Amino acid sequence: MAAEYRVGRVDELPSGTHKVLQVGGREIGVFNVAGSYYALPSNCLHQNGPLCRGSVSGTIESRRESAWKPTWVREGEIIICPWHTMEFDITTGQCLAEPRRHIPTYKVTVVDSEIRVTIP
Amino acid sequence: MSEIRESTLEGRAPKKLPNGVRVIDVDVHAHETPAALIPYCEMPWRKSLELISKAPERYLDIPFFAPQMAVWTPPFPQSGSERRQVVTSASQMRKDLDELGIDIGVIFPDNFLLLATLRDADYATALARAYNRWLVDEWLGEDNGMKGAIVAPSQNPVAAAEEIRRYAGHKHVAAIYLPSCCVEPLYGDRSYDPLYEAAQEANLPVMLHSVTAIYPVFPFNLNCFSSMFSAHIVSHGISMVANLLSLMETGVPARYPKLRIGFSEAGIAWIPWMMMRMDKEYKERRRELPFLSDLPSTYMRQMFFATQPIEEPENMKEMATIMSLFGGEKSVMFASDWPHHDFDHPNKVLQIPVSPETQRDILSGNASRFLNLKEKS
Repeated sequence: MAAEYRVGRVDELPSGTHKVLQVGGREIGVFNVAGSYYALPSNCLHQNGPLCRGSVSGTIESRRESAWKPTWVREGEIIICPWHTMEFDITTGQCLAEPRRHIPTYKVTVVDSEIRVTIP
Repeated sequence: MSEIRESTLEGRAPKKLPNGVRVIDVDVHAHETPAALIPYCEMPWRKSLELISKAPERYLDIPFFAPQMAVWTPPFPQSGSERRQVVTSASQMRKDLDELGIDIGVIFPDNFLLLATLRDADYATALARAYNRWLVDEWLGEDNGMKGAIVAPSQNPVAAAEEIRRYAGHKHVAAIYLPSCCVEPLYGDRSYDPLYEAAQEANLPVMLHSVTAIYPVFPFNLNCFSSMFSAHIVSHGISMVANLLSLMETGVPARYPKLRIGFSEAGIAWIPWMMMRMDKEYKERRRELPFLSDLPSTYMRQMFFATQPIEEPENMKEMATIMSLFGGEKSVMFASDWPHHDFDHPNKVLQIPVSPETQRDILSGNASRFLNLKEKS
């Protein structure tokens, strides 16, 4: 059954920061990406490393649209697993190396400046 | 709600194993700094270490000591792992291995993965001797689940044989590490015969282990590549292939039939390829390898292979199939490569669906035979 957890106040999580918490018997990460809040399970798809204990970063892409020039993109939107540096999109849970695979994302709401995460 | 502490292993316990199943990890790494080896190094090279230890340290890349020369891709934020990638003491290793659910760890060096790149044979030999003294003194002194692989300086096989004989009786020396990165000549060369003779006599296995470096010997002329992606694959995998072929050329497994030979840090998917390729070639060119009295695969089935970096197909059943192609059930040994950037958690290897008996063999039975642990303990 879904449960809602209070994970802190907005002033404790400024833009560009994240924190790792233990809620409802599981480890999760709560992120503030440019004023929007996101939450992910702290489990890497690769070897179940503690994903959210890693760093938030941007990443490099090189696409036809930019004439294959390597470009630094999505600053602040990528979480990198501390075990083997596998990258995930914080906003969607998508795995960058295996784009067909995702980790779940949890619903985050802000009520009276308090951040709440709903875990199904 | 509670904050999580910074250790990256905490809370990632290994799957519970059936009672009595131990985990032997045939590849973990101790961090030998130039400074740590100073008191163990003979003169005049102690003077060299005193100078080298003053330079800032880089991961597996220290001029005059571990010259990797492979820092060739531009750095970007968080491209390298941010967790601790060194283990500096036996107590720290014990704690890490406990968190990984590993009972026994076989210690290999960090920087001396590059020992064979050093061209001054006297210096390389002095460093190898210093490392072995340090290993035995600071890591293998207690019954703490640590076993050691003493390093054999490839530059001086006669001195390597002396080192093997010196430590042969040590309770916790369980293997001989053959530095395979940039080694020249390859390990089948006849100049290594004294080393193999000593190893066989001492009943200690040899373990080939490579690492990435740019160096003008096959297959380390990595100037052809522009990424660590390619270089890392070639440095480990193709180094094992090259050295295996070299060992076969001069019939090392036939001439030293009791010598146990292991291959580390190349995964296991290459093994069936080499086995089949060599058998095919041998049928046509048997006269070039007159030392062998059977197909190369027959000798390969007597060799041992460490899992890391274990291949990760979406369906891990494919790894069980690959193992079945070379009798890996009786020759594959779990290895984590802790604490290096591409370490494998035991849970990944436990995802390979095999019988309980095979699982026990991969986790400890095969390593126990390879390392001769039953007689040692």
